[in-house]
Amino acid sequence: MKLICTQDNLKKAISSSERMVSKQNTLPILNAILFEADKGSLRLSATNLEMGIQIKIGAKVEKEGKIAVPAKLISNFSANLPEGESVSLELDEQNLKIKSGRTQATIKSFLAGDFPLIPKKTTESLFEINTDNFKKIINRIIVSVAHGEARQELSGVNIIFNKEDICFASTDSFRLTEYSFKLSDKNNINKDSYNAFIDKNVSIIIPAATLIEMGRIISNNLSDIIKVTLEEGQIFFEIGGARIVSRLINGKYPEYKHIMPTNFKTTIIGDKAQIQNAIKMASLFAPGKSSDITLKINQETGNVSIGARSAEAGENATEIDFEALGESQEIIFNSKYLLDGINMIESSKVALLANSETAPVAIKEVDQNTNNILEGYTYIVMPIKN
Amino acid sequence: MVNEELWQAALAEIELSISKANFITWFKNTSIISNENGHVVIGVPNGFAKEWLENKYNLYILRALGNIQPEIKSVSCVISTPTETKTVNEAPQMVDAIIAPKKPFPREIAAPISFETNLNPRYAFDNFIIGGNNELARAACFAVSQNIGRIYNPLFIYGGVGLGKTHLIQSIGNEILKNNPQSKVKYITSERFTSELIDSIKNQKINEFKEYYQKMDLLIIDDIQFISGKEKTQEEFFHIFNHLYQLNKQIVLSSDRPPKAIQILEERLRSRFEGGMIADVTQPDFETRMAILEKKIVDDNIRISPEAIKFIASNIKNNIRELEGALNRVVVSAQLTNKEITDEFVANQLSEIISSGKKKGITHKHILKAVSEFYDIHIDDLVAKNRKQDVVRPRQIAMYLMRSELQFSYPGIGEKLGGRDHTTAIHAFEKIAKALSSDEKLIKEIGELREQLYQIN
Repeated sequence: MKLICTQDNLKKAISSSERMVSKQNTLPILNAILFEADKGSLRLSATNLEMGIQIKIGAKVEKEGKIAVPAKLISNFSANLPEGESVSLELDEQNLKIKSGRTQATIKSFLAGDFPLIPKKTTESLFEINTDNFKKIINRIIVSVAHGEARQELSGVNIIFNKEDICFASTDSFRLTEYSFKLSDKNNINKDSYNAFIDKNVSIIIPAATLIEMGRIISNNLSDIIKVTLEEGQIFFEIGGARIVSRLINGKYPEYKHIMPTNFKTTIIGDKAQIQNAIKMASLFAPGKSSDITLKINQETGNVSIGARSAEAGENATEIDFEALGESQEIIFNSKYLLDGINMIESSKVALLANSETAPVAIKEVDQNTNNILEGYTYIVMPIKN
Repeated sequence: MVNEELWQAALAEIELSISKANFITWFKNTSIISNENGHVVIGVPNGFAKEWLENKYNLYILRALGNIQPEIKSVSCVISTPTETKTVNEAPQMVDAIIAPKKPFPREIAAPISFETNLNPRYAFDNFIIGGNNELARAACFAVSQNIGRIYNPLFIYGGVGLGKTHLIQSIGNEILKNNPQSKVKYITSERFTSELIDSIKNQKINEFKEYYQKMDLLIIDDIQFISGKEKTQEEFFHIFNHLYQLNKQIVLSSDRPPKAIQILEERLRSRFEGGMIADVTQPDFETRMAILEKKIVDDNIRISPEAIKFIASNIKNNIRELEGALNRVVVSAQLTNKEITDEFVANQLSEIISSGKKKGITHKHILKAVSEFYDIHIDDLVAKNRKQDVVRPRQIAMYLMRSELQFSYPGIGEKLGGRDHTTAIHAFEKIAKALSSDEKLIKEIGELREQLYQIN
């Protein structure tokens, strides 16, 4: 292997792949990035056996070949190479020789033959999605994913394919986020296979870690469009020259549609920043672990207030200038759970919809001009039992 | 041969030909899904394993399977896991997606023991019951808390177990912190003190250790008797003591016996301990015991008849901790059996622990042993027929204790003590009983003897 490429391309590709390198040490080769040079391009591969990435960058290849290079070393090294210089890579038995400007290095590496094979997709891509949209979905949905491995299916994001939209959902069993992404012609749907998915009522679970990685890779601006392909047990994403593959989580995602409330007795609508501040202030006074704060809605006076009290800190209450419709309510929330949902609202106004102090409360976006509640994003949080 | 056995046998063979790390990485969670017409389908957990097994280990697998079942000619992989096949067979479970987060059990805000001072805020002068037995000690402690370092320095409190020493000396610390939160207060047991010292020697931080303690405004050391025989601890403590003393910083010590009675204590320390104020706490009298129980009943909101309280107070004499324990025991068993707390119920419940010695398994032998050890005479001398001056008194005390603690008959007592006449026993009992009304020293000795007796088991 012998080639020359730009420092910028190499650095980006290495940093994208390095994140995916396994942290476990049973198989040392998994700590390496595979470099493969052929016909005018250099391809980098990395995997932790749950997901894998392959990135192609342009290079002037004089001699083809491949080698697996320790990820951490090459990543730290390439990050500090002088900018704007070209880098030459050359294989010397089991070492990788790097030259750039006045710097040179010889890195002891692994045989390429031991590197895992990254699964290749065998079918056409299912649909495309804009990176901005995808990033928005990831940000919102990741908030309520369960941590820890007690219930594996909750550590992922549920995706249900419908005719008109794709429905993303996540829950840690205390709150739930649902986001339905409307499909349009821009999504370039592969009709035949997509309809087959709808007919089979396919619901998949993507590991949250995969989506978080996707979010990072997107921010490297490789392309505006992501192509998504679904196959048995795995999902593929293609962004520009990068291909990412991830396993899907086996298991059944809990049924959640039936607990999504549709009718509400009480609705309050108002400024997002105002309620955020009120919650943050109340949380300072909330007792210990549960950090419970109380939302009070008074039907007669139309007052809405958020407050908390604890033996240690004292007490606080903030009246917020919200438009209140419907019955009086007094509901106790975990302040973090409530705030997480409101933080994800993109409109400057937010709507809270409630039924009782024991029923799920929904948070939704509101159209700034018409004050209409928008569908699409719903965050549901369970009140704390008193 | 079923698929499972076949795969186990094949894996055993494959394991020999590849490295352990590779084997674990690639063959974990694999299984044979089907075996038909010479074609085996292997279920693997992910795409990576599928690629690797199909492309790299294909030959190993085929060879291993072929050795067991020669008709197997080809192998392929599919992504699946055992859990998936299971869920297909079982009826789909309905799991509710979200549930209400539980409110954490509303526990009382447990008064946290401060790491810095080690003081337990529960101990305060307000909830200390004053009785004749502890009047002096309490007054001394309170005076110290109001005039720290200026009077009674050091303050030395001694008394038996469970009589409130710790409560008193910690109250000083809490009171001082209440009045001036900036003061540096440290409560520590001498045992902890010793182990901290040992640690600091081990880590070569002895100077930091000393400096830390020399910065204190109030140093409280509990159970100081345990530094007896620990020379290095005594030496370091001596220096810290001197340093604090010269700066008029308060030192409070507690022990289960007066400084004189602490064995193997350096003379210079002993004299310093005696240089301040020494106060003792003794066993509470009946009225104090009643007051303690009544306070606890009010605090814990316990329903109990006055006769029952009286019964407990008159039968548990030795120790306040035992007293509270007895009350707790009665209350808990009443709750469990759903009965009202009457005096019969209490008598029933406490029959085991009421301090009539017999019930604790104490015999005349224990008494003789305790007396002979206490007065440092041989047990044979106690029993022997002689009237040596230094034996006569202990012998009488032994007789007194046998009568008062074990309710022995006078002839019985005489018999156990070398076949003496019962009139000797009567005389001894009466003599000691009379002396007890006036002789402070004797009261203390008898008290300590009783304590030793009840510590036996």
